[in-house]
Amino acid sequence: MTEREDIEELAAEYALGSLSASERASVEARRPSEPGLDRAILAWERRLSPFIETLEPVAPSPGLYGKIRARIAPAAEVVSLQAYQEKLAARAARWRTTAIGMTAVAASLAGVMVWKEAYKPPMSATYVAVLQSGEQQPAFLMTIDTKSHMCAIKAVGAKKEQGKSYQLWMLHDTMPKPKDMGLIAVGDDMDLMEMAPDTDMNVYMTAKFAVSLEPEGGSPTGEPTGPVMYVGQLVQSMPDGTTSL
Amino acid sequence: MASPQQHLIALLAGVASGNETAFAELYQASSSKLLAVAIRIVKQREVAEEILQEAFVKIWERAGDFDASIAAPMTWMATIVRNRSLDEVRKRAGKSFVNDGELDHLVSEDESALSLLERDDDVARLMRCLETLEPDKRQMVRLAYLDGMSREALAEKFDKPEGTVKTWLRRSLMQLKGCLDG
Repeated sequence: MTEREDIEELAAEYALGSLSASERASVEARRPSEPGLDRAILAWERRLSPFIETLEPVAPSPGLYGKIRARIAPAAEVVSLQAYQEKLAARAARWRTTAIGMTAVAASLAGVMVWKEAYKPPMSATYVAVLQSGEQQPAFLMTIDTKSHMCAIKAVGAKKEQGKSYQLWMLHDTMPKPKDMGLIAVGDDMDLMEMAPDTDMNVYMTAKFAVSLEPEGGSPTGEPTGPVMYVGQLVQSMPDGTTSL
Repeated sequence: MASPQQHLIALLAGVASGNETAFAELYQASSSKLLAVAIRIVKQREVAEEILQEAFVKIWERAGDFDASIAAPMTWMATIVRNRSLDEVRKRAGKSFVNDGELDHLVSEDESALSLLERDDDVARLMRCLETLEPDKRQMVRLAYLDGMSREALAEKFDKPEGTVKTWLRRSLMQLKGCLDG
């Protein structure tokens, strides 16, 4: 048997559903690196799918959609804002601890004296938003400092998508459409954005921030066109008047 | 008037951009079909509904991956449900399934096969091609796809060695391919 026939038959049986658990796992493991196998599986799924039309539909239980809706982002965040904010505050505290730890390492490497002279304190992390999808790892960390009027975005878990750009949006009940907050780079650097000095923090505190995946260079329409990947909301992580960590 | 398929494609595009109304409509349009797929494989409504839940969360998260030039929307969604259902029954392999009664009205698709043959679409074409297989082999293909029966389970049911079942299935599938693509 030639290898090509073998792949074709394996793909057919995979799509049919007759393989054992270990054979299925092996096919799934091979799939990402074998485009020929992947294509063959998709073609077999297409060939066999009319079978589904022969089944009598079964109505799901009435409560099922509600359960699904409670599990999807960003709806999940809307449901219980208070619980979500508490969770965010806990996460923000955890991330801040990590950031302090990293600064300390950098300081010990550079030498304390040099550090004392050259080191400018980072802007005070007064407001923090963790942008994430559902229960997954945080993707972006957004901090806003009201003294310097700077907004900083740092990619923590988000991965670079080939030919795509991440774009940040602010959503608020008083705004007719999402406000474009700019593109976010995924790399080691932080994106810094200056905010208008008369920025109303009340709007920011009650707004949602969403990151969508857009064509390279950003949304062509000025509104989100790609999937909304991550959502979050600001929480105050430091009391007013705190100037440094 | 858009075809049902075009409508589903438009809804999936809406879901991909985070539109919850499109998601709700997609659920309305496809959930009962997809639940039928899961129940038929896992044999229990409760388990099937759990799988449907997970599948729709995945559809919400992955709608951006859907490519209408590669798959039909129903095929794409049903594949998510089938794969999850198959994983579930393989995980429980060896344990016997308790039919909770949901199946009784679901196993009669043979009865409607004649009327399906009269349709002029993919379903009719698949049914016509299935007709070219010997009855035992046709039944094996059907039980594997719709009921998620493994080679091992089919071997037991048809009282044949597993190797024979594998050969029969693969030959039947290649014959189907020749008929469907020809």
